[in-house]
Amino acid sequence: MAAKLFVRKRDGRIEVRLNEAGRAAVREIFGHVVAAERDPDHEWRTSLNAPITPSRDDDDPLATLARQSEIATNVELAVMTLNESQLNENEAWAWLATIQIALRSTALAHGFLDDDTLAAGDADVLNEIHLMQQLLFDLAACL
Amino acid sequence: MRTPSDVRVSSVEGDRGSESDLSTGSDVLTERPWNVIVWNDPVTPMTVVVVVFRKIFGYPNNKCTQLMLQVHHEGRAVVWSGQRPRAESYCVKLQAAGLQATVEQDT
Repeated sequence: MAAKLFVRKRDGRIEVRLNEAGRAAVREIFGHVVAAERDPDHEWRTSLNAPITPSRDDDDPLATLARQSEIATNVELAVMTLNESQLNENEAWAWLATIQIALRSTALAHGFLDDDTLAAGDADVLNEIHLMQQLLFDLAACL
Repeated sequence: MRTPSDVRVSSVEGDRGSESDLSTGSDVLTERPWNVIVWNDPVTPMTVVVVVFRKIFGYPNNKCTQLMLQVHHEGRAVVWSGQRPRAESYCVKLQAAGLQATVEQDT
């Protein structure tokens, strides 16, 4: 992959500098979020359904529906623009939100709740996490 | 930022909410605000937190950075306070952006 994975251009668009391997990795990340969003038994489901107001027994159904809708909209836009060479602001935001959801869901699914558990994590999982962090770091720098 | 506790309302018998939602003074009725809390986690890059705060709340960069550092060092930060529907709406947006966020009423 190139040194900078995303670069803000003078016209305001964000250039995606991922090679084929990089795009395949992003495709896999987006695919996981799509699967988690559709499958109620997916291991990431807990992080997608985190409590909004923990002091109440149940969250407002409208609030949970709004969250589900927002996640679905973002991941749909991210998947649709997967092969684009340039992203506009909304598309880049959809990529960022979707990758960030994948990052946190991966961490939660493996019990990485603090720096110690993260440091003791499996090397393959940590590689996945580092890849997502690098993508997010470069994307956030453009937004 | 205006919060419900900033707003003074004449106390009228029968016009009060539940005890858990409202506290009364001698001649005022105030509602405790609802806080949007963002929690620390070990994987989210700091720059992402700043970008998400700026996008969702429209805060200036230095305020976003200050809040992000508070989350990082103290484990949590109150990023917005006000009426419950808006607090829950902001919380939903933060969660949809992948941050760990909850809503709680001010104590």
